[in-house]
Amino acid sequence: MPDVLVWLMKAGAIFGILLGTAAYLTLAERKVSAWIQYRYGPNRVGPWGLFQPFADLIKFIFKEEVAPAGANPLMFRLAPFLSAIPAMLTVAVIPFGPEVRIGEVATNLSIVDLDVGALYLLAFSGLAVYGPILGGWASNSKYSLLGGLRASAQMVSYELTLILCLLAVVTLSGTLDLREIVTSQAERGVWNVFVQPVAFVLFVVATFAETNRHPFDFAECEPELVGGFHTEYSAMRFALFFLGEYCAMIVMAGLTTTLFLGGFGIPFVEDPHWVLGFLAFMTKTAMFLFLFLWVRWTLPRFRFDQLMGLGWKVFLPVALVNLFLTGAVVSLLG
Amino acid sequence: MAEFLFYFLSIVAVAAGAGVVLSRSPMMSIIALLATFFCLAVIYLLAGFQFLAAAQVLVYAGAILVLFLFVIMLLNLGDTRGQFRLQDALLSGKTRLGLAVAAALGLVGAVAARRAPLGEHDAALHAEGIDDLTDVATALFGRYSLPFEVVSLLLLATMVAVLALAKRQRGPASQRPPEASATALAAPPPTPAPPPALPDPVASKEEVTS
Repeated sequence: MPDVLVWLMKAGAIFGILLGTAAYLTLAERKVSAWIQYRYGPNRVGPWGLFQPFADLIKFIFKEEVAPAGANPLMFRLAPFLSAIPAMLTVAVIPFGPEVRIGEVATNLSIVDLDVGALYLLAFSGLAVYGPILGGWASNSKYSLLGGLRASAQMVSYELTLILCLLAVVTLSGTLDLREIVTSQAERGVWNVFVQPVAFVLFVVATFAETNRHPFDFAECEPELVGGFHTEYSAMRFALFFLGEYCAMIVMAGLTTTLFLGGFGIPFVEDPHWVLGFLAFMTKTAMFLFLFLWVRWTLPRFRFDQLMGLGWKVFLPVALVNLFLTGAVVSLLG
Repeated sequence: MAEFLFYFLSIVAVAAGAGVVLSRSPMMSIIALLATFFCLAVIYLLAGFQFLAAAQVLVYAGAILVLFLFVIMLLNLGDTRGQFRLQDALLSGKTRLGLAVAAALGLVGAVAARRAPLGEHDAALHAEGIDDLTDVATALFGRYSLPFEVVSLLLLATMVAVLALAKRQRGPASQRPPEASATALAAPPPTPAPPPALPDPVASKEEVTS
């Protein structure tokens, strides 16, 4: 089979997994919230509400697109795409599983294995900031503008912590290739979460801020800002913002799994079958996704100044010290 | 394919670069600059420089341009339509100087490109990336570690200078007695910055129609 065909199939499969997970994450969000609040949640469309995402999609498609008077037309249309596309592109470097062998074809279960995979991921997740900020600005509404400013401020601040924690892992593994980070954990025989507990905690909290999720969802906090940067958006454009948020969550969960929980590795099993490896990766990722939902429906929201204080005065120094100590230990022990 | 992509991206990059300068609204300039950075990053990729491409997007598009965006939004820089006439702008001395500098730089670039040795095109090598991270790191933190540190000091000095200039423009420290100026740094500024004003696309639209 030609390489291009294999690659296209792989890319299609991984995007399918991403979009499918994103669709069912919206259902999971409502089901989990219902479970936590002792309700049923959506249960009318299909068994257990399983077809709810499709019903939602049809509703979004057929709703009327409304743009406020005085909105900047180009930016207003561009912003949802700038929010969704970078989030979807980042999935390209996540290693979903070990080498797949079907017949004669052998290929790695990730769209591309880049030498600078971690950098690529950071670069594109950093671009996700344009969606909220441009959407908020172009809407010509004070709530949207404030939401956009908050989103961008918090994403830029917590990106630093994210990068520093990732660098600690990179220092340990000596590579920016995410697949090699996974194999290095398998070779060491211990997941990075046990070697780098501080970086792990900071990283997970920073992903919540980076994806604008509870308890840091100031970009869209209802009591103050109506809907934040997407107050003025409706129909598919609104759905694109949502898709961007859910894709970012999935990629961040996958990245946390890859960096700290051994990715597609299974403890005490050497060289597992690729189906098992893939399932292990998805299970670990699903665990982090559940954490996103669990936290959203359990913890109260912070205050914005608390969030910024936490980011700059606590997380950044701790992450810096952690990185320094990691570097010192690695260079001393060789 | 790669050659076609290169020329296509180059044209888009140059066109977007022109758009940065010619656009009337600063927001459009930002988007055009973003497009330029992207085209450049992909051109680096085509040439086999993976690290450079990733760093280009990470640093320029992800950090510096966001800062520009912040400044434009906070200062509420509006549309410059009606403030300049293109003929005036083209005939001004500054434009002539700028054009002369651009022409000189273009000439230098063309000469340099002519004299530079053309590497053999090795598709396999380029697909894997020719800027090996270890080499980059060894060069940056080994042989060039001193210039690297000096550059970071330069950035720090720029930051301090900007802070000093901003302080002086508000003018609290210089007008106070010397013993108070030490505490002035810690105290909040006397006149709080005005809250970010809303961008007003309505106003600019009315200008167009009127």
